[in-house]
Amino acid sequence: MGAAVAYHLTRRGWGDKTLLIEKEKIGAGSRWHASGLVGAFKPSLAQVKLAQSSIRLLQELEARGRSTGWKQCGSLLLARTRDRMTVYRRMKSQSVSWGIPCELVTPKRCQELWPLLNVDDILGGLWIPGDGVGDPHLFCMALMREAVDNGVGVMEDCAVTSVLSKDGRVCGVETSHGAIECEYFVNCAGFWARQVGQLAKPQVKVPLLPCEHYYLHTKRIDNLDPMTPVVRDPDGYIYLRERDGCLIAGGFEPVAKPVYEEEIKNAAQRCVPEDWDHFHVLLQEFLKRVPSLGQAVLHKLCNGLEAFSPDCKWIVGEAPEMFNYHVAAGMKTVGISAAGGVAEATVDEIVDGYTKYDMYELDINRFLGLHNNKRFLRDRMKEVPGVHYGLPYPFYEFETGRNLRLSPIYPTLRDNGAVFGQVMGYERPTWFEIVDKDKENPQKPRPFKIAHTKTFGKPHWFETVQREYWACRESVGLADYSSFTKIDLQSQGREVVDFLQYLCSNNVDVPVGSIIHTGMQNERGGYENDCSLARISENHYMMIAPTIQQTRCKVWLKRHLPHNGSVTLSDVTSMYTAICVMGPFTRNLLSELTDTDLSPSNFPFFTFKELDVGLANGIRAMNLTHTGELGYVLYIPNEFALHVYNRLMTVGEKYGISHVGYYASRSLRVEKFFAFWGQDLDTMTTPLECGRTWRVKFDKDIPFIGRDALLRQRKEGIRRQYVQLLLTDHDHELDLWSWGGEPIYRDGNYCGQTTTTSYGYTFKKQVCLGFVQNLDKNGDPQPVTHDYVLSGHYEIDIAGIRYDAKVNLHSPNLPTKYPDKERDVYQATRRLHEPQQFLGRVHRYVVGTQEVEGTGKKDIPFIGRDALLRQRKEGIRRQYVQLLLTDHDHELDLWSWGGEPIYRDGNYCGQTTTTSYGYTFKKQVCLGFVQNLDKNGDPQPVTHDYVLSGHYEIDIAGIRYAAKVNLHSPNLPTKYPDKERDVYQATRRLHEPQQFLGRHYQP
Amino acid sequence: QKTGIDSNEVLMQVTVILRKNEYNKEFSSGSVKSYDSNQLASNDPIEDTRSEALCKLTPGILMGVFDGHGGPACAQVISKRLLKYIAAALLPMDSLNKFIKEPEESLVEIINDRVELIEDLKTIYDNSFKQYLLDLAKTPRKESDVNASLEKGILQLDNDLSREVVEPFKNNGVINPKTLSVALSGAVVCVTYIDGPHLYVANVGDCNAVLGTKTEENEWVAKKITKEHNSENYDELKRIWNEHPDSERKTVIRRDRLLGELAPLRSMGDYRYKWSTDVLTKVAVPLIGEKAIPANYHTPPYLTAKPDIYYHRLTPKDKFLIIASDGIWDMLTPLQAVKLVGEHMKGKVFFNPLKLPKKNIQLSDINELLLHRKESLKSKPKDRNAATHLIRNAIGGTEYGVDHSRLAHLLSLSPDVSRMFRDDMTVTIVYFDSEFLRQCPT
Repeated sequence: MGAAVAYHLTRRGWGDKTLLIEKEKIGAGSRWHASGLVGAFKPSLAQVKLAQSSIRLLQELEARGRSTGWKQCGSLLLARTRDRMTVYRRMKSQSVSWGIPCELVTPKRCQELWPLLNVDDILGGLWIPGDGVGDPHLFCMALMREAVDNGVGVMEDCAVTSVLSKDGRVCGVETSHGAIECEYFVNCAGFWARQVGQLAKPQVKVPLLPCEHYYLHTKRIDNLDPMTPVVRDPDGYIYLRERDGCLIAGGFEPVAKPVYEEEIKNAAQRCVPEDWDHFHVLLQEFLKRVPSLGQAVLHKLCNGLEAFSPDCKWIVGEAPEMFNYHVAAGMKTVGISAAGGVAEATVDEIVDGYTKYDMYELDINRFLGLHNNKRFLRDRMKEVPGVHYGLPYPFYEFETGRNLRLSPIYPTLRDNGAVFGQVMGYERPTWFEIVDKDKENPQKPRPFKIAHTKTFGKPHWFETVQREYWACRESVGLADYSSFTKIDLQSQGREVVDFLQYLCSNNVDVPVGSIIHTGMQNERGGYENDCSLARISENHYMMIAPTIQQTRCKVWLKRHLPHNGSVTLSDVTSMYTAICVMGPFTRNLLSELTDTDLSPSNFPFFTFKELDVGLANGIRAMNLTHTGELGYVLYIPNEFALHVYNRLMTVGEKYGISHVGYYASRSLRVEKFFAFWGQDLDTMTTPLECGRTWRVKFDKDIPFIGRDALLRQRKEGIRRQYVQLLLTDHDHELDLWSWGGEPIYRDGNYCGQTTTTSYGYTFKKQVCLGFVQNLDKNGDPQPVTHDYVLSGHYEIDIAGIRYDAKVNLHSPNLPTKYPDKERDVYQATRRLHEPQQFLGRVHRYVVGTQEVEGTGKKDIPFIGRDALLRQRKEGIRRQYVQLLLTDHDHELDLWSWGGEPIYRDGNYCGQTTTTSYGYTFKKQVCLGFVQNLDKNGDPQPVTHDYVLSGHYEIDIAGIRYAAKVNLHSPNLPTKYPDKERDVYQATRRLHEPQQFLGRHYQP
Repeated sequence: QKTGIDSNEVLMQVTVILRKNEYNKEFSSGSVKSYDSNQLASNDPIEDTRSEALCKLTPGILMGVFDGHGGPACAQVISKRLLKYIAAALLPMDSLNKFIKEPEESLVEIINDRVELIEDLKTIYDNSFKQYLLDLAKTPRKESDVNASLEKGILQLDNDLSREVVEPFKNNGVINPKTLSVALSGAVVCVTYIDGPHLYVANVGDCNAVLGTKTEENEWVAKKITKEHNSENYDELKRIWNEHPDSERKTVIRRDRLLGELAPLRSMGDYRYKWSTDVLTKVAVPLIGEKAIPANYHTPPYLTAKPDIYYHRLTPKDKFLIIASDGIWDMLTPLQAVKLVGEHMKGKVFFNPLKLPKKNIQLSDINELLLHRKESLKSKPKDRNAATHLIRNAIGGTEYGVDHSRLAHLLSLSPDVSRMFRDDMTVTIVYFDSEFLRQCPT
């Protein structure tokens, strides 16, 4: 990886400014634990593009006479099940958009391609002739030679010991050979990337954990064609390839063995003793697939540890903790197909500031701190490698590392039948099973259930989601939106408004109480973030962003925050529970729970109000739903969440309130043609391309980021258009469903692909969202006009079958029993550039920008210092004491409860404050103040001697009990002594500074 | 799918409790290949103790299980002292003399020693031991009479327990409450001494040692080596009746107990049944009152620490020896225990990863091997330590395997209730090296 990054830096002319640091020797990794498979087909476009870039690089190097071991022997994918065959059909149909030549083949053809194969249980396969194999070691050395020839410096046997930052930016590294100043740092430490991340100050989190991973090497096998294709049999978790007349066989077992305790320090330690019992699963599959392998002689079984990320995807991009700190790691076992592309993307990001394709799904910003918890990684890692060859069903869910982030209403939702999906560690209900309430003893707590789909056709949850869908459209649905990213942004003066005007393409300077939906564009006009901003007060906004943006959007905001600290950003995601109620009766429902007038004239659509709901207050209510239904999202301080939820459910009963999950709201929004960031929108998509030009305010006083690019695009025309396609001849019961990524054909020619899709329960049709292009003969995109879009005849190819589709450019108005004028005029995706209409005037604020001056040294006298100095000089006139009642019987006598008078030598001298029974002392314990009153009742100075020399009594309801006085915190006897804690006294006499870190306080 | 979290947690807690006192050790030479040991307390503190030691100046290994009663003191002290006493008795005269002159090297290497005696007791015991060595050196005896050595060690230590109380009292009227509590509490003892193919077991009281032997037909046979000294042992009853006048016949054993009080009929310590009435009155009564003297106490001593010594010559068929306190034997028969350990042995090999036997092996052969292993892996025990395996089965065992909820329930009882369901359990399992025994000259 490091070699590839260095190589790509030289291609951009940075060779002589690049230094490669290697802890051991470059390319020293063992030849035994690498398969060298190079395959172009990956689960997503970005990964495919990266792999294709790697293949190109291999070919280029070979062409230049650099040996890389590249051999285009093709690869053959086998299917044992119908679902796997469906996957291949989908891949074949997608291959058009991805430009990967491939061919569906019969079992017979499979055997022709690989004569030794047993195809008895094979249903078919996919033949990819452009794939091949390479030699990671040769590839690495070839890249290194190119890099060194172009000026890259290399330090071997040199360990990085820390990565330093200044002002949040990389400024240098310290190594075992001394310190180096630098501007950029790329963590290409692969297997050790997590540890190297920990060397950074502040620490960079690279969530990776090693697993055992096996490579079986046979001795020479006679008559083995060197051009034998790579065989992948994912249903058996295995692959096989030829190398130097021998076979290398490996795989991804369904239950992996994570390495947790052991610390692997060097390359040699990465090869650990083999566990044949664990490997046996794979061995059996090899023998089944290639029976003649039974006669092959074992050369070596290598158990080389390999690190995986918690979602089995690569980790690329700039770290959220430190600018200019890039990570290119977690390439799993396919480093050779990843390295070239990932390195190129990394270098693009360093040199240009962005990559050629959207890489969100691989971006290190997709993680939170929790993902780097080693115990979480250990838990999750058991199932991660298996995902590599698992069936890629829609809405895949991991079963480990669950129940991590839970909203306060999670237990209630679970007991009401919620089935959960995990997003950013958050358990979000996907749908609700019906809970039989008539049963005598409903099982509580209900077991935690994980959502699954496990089909490419009509899913088993179809009817459930349908019921929830109609609740939202015809009665009231309640959904948990708590996982949404919530950020508070505020400033003293107008700074936050200016800041957001600069970041957002929409106008954020709207009246207090308004909500604006806006994109945050990058320089190229693409979406870095797509969010709602509620103006809470003049200089305070609450930002609601997609769940997956929690790390990412903060980085984007921080990157542009004013340096003087005038704008503060606080992530309040974990402080609020978000409950969305949607449906025609939500206004009636909420009106019953609050005294605030919710009529449209007082609380219009797309506005915000802080409400009292039930008996609770401070609930941030937003009149919008993110799905197009009438309704509200309530952001409830966590401690009120259950209360508000209970009230909503109780009062909602008569409106037929029901719980709804994520799938239902997803279906609503797809049908309504609402785009979501991360699914439809990405960093390469502009508002103009997706019908959101009306949300772009070109004429703001402060030109926003990306304005120029968008102006240019407006002038030149867009080259792709976001559309909604309704499949007209698709039978949702029988046909395979569209799940996203399907190619779109216009008049028989490929023109784009779908992004998100859903069944539309109102349209009663499959609904696909996606982008349509106008490709010329060379495949280059030409400007797309509305006429172009509307004049075509569309088809969508689902696993090889094309379905007719009707195209929509704007959000449709769905027929409804409960029309609501206000809401119906709102179209998320629309054409017109009409200004958004607000109620009330737009205020102009004239607030000067205020520079906060540095406060300098911290010698600031605290409030009250003078009074305390005076008191120290003059002496105190009352003393806080602890009194233990010595002759009090806690069984029979009245207790002290505070406020009892204290007598010293028979004279009143003060009273108790708080009291308790001391279970260790086995006595009543009273705290209180003792005074030294003179004859006139005036307090005189109190000394410790005065306090300690008296005989004390406490009067409880007329009876005086003798008391022993303490001036300092007592050391209570304990079975479990802890020296460090015991020396701590809350109340003490000496003015010695408290001592920490192991040294003990000497009284 | 994920409902089992709670019961899993219980299972883990159970395992943590069971494995708390686990110990195992392997040896690289000699007839003993390894041993597993474990204890599970029912009393708080536990009254059982155990200790193991290698003899340094002679060959052989010593292992003992001590089941205390009337308090933990006696068993604790014995576990610290007895193996040294025996090792000293085993020394040939010249080594003994040399050792007395230059006691720099220790006599035994104690394995897995977890307790430390308090300083003043240590001094007393060191003095007793020195005295004992000198006495040994004076008394002429037959070389290499292991039986005599075992008996000498045990009886001498029992004697010293008394002397350490009585002597200071006679000399200056002082009673040390610590040594007194040791002498008044008691412990039954089962000690084995293994030297090559020679297995000796010395038994005092109701612990038992059982040998696990595998027949040619691959069946497990349990050979109970010891015979416990309790009222079920008619020879013991006869011995006791014969040692006391006929008039005491009804009182000396009542309700199956010695003088109606003590279940084991031989033990170390327990000087309430050994000292004369006079000594008891002077020494014990001031501390614990009149009840110190048992009813019908006419012709002391009623109790002896004299061990029965058994010898067995190990053959390659003898696979292991189980020494355990009656807490285990109350729950398991010798054959059950031997079968459990035998099955465990079979499953235990799978705790170690497979090592391929030869070069140039074909993949199909490896597959065969792994299939076999897989079959056997099903019987892979939960516990690596066979002593833990025995305890787990002793408590939770049912006809259909270990019942974990029953096990969890029994382990969660408080000490006072728990005592009604089970006794302290101590198990040491010694594995023999069959290869070594095969090559031993007969």
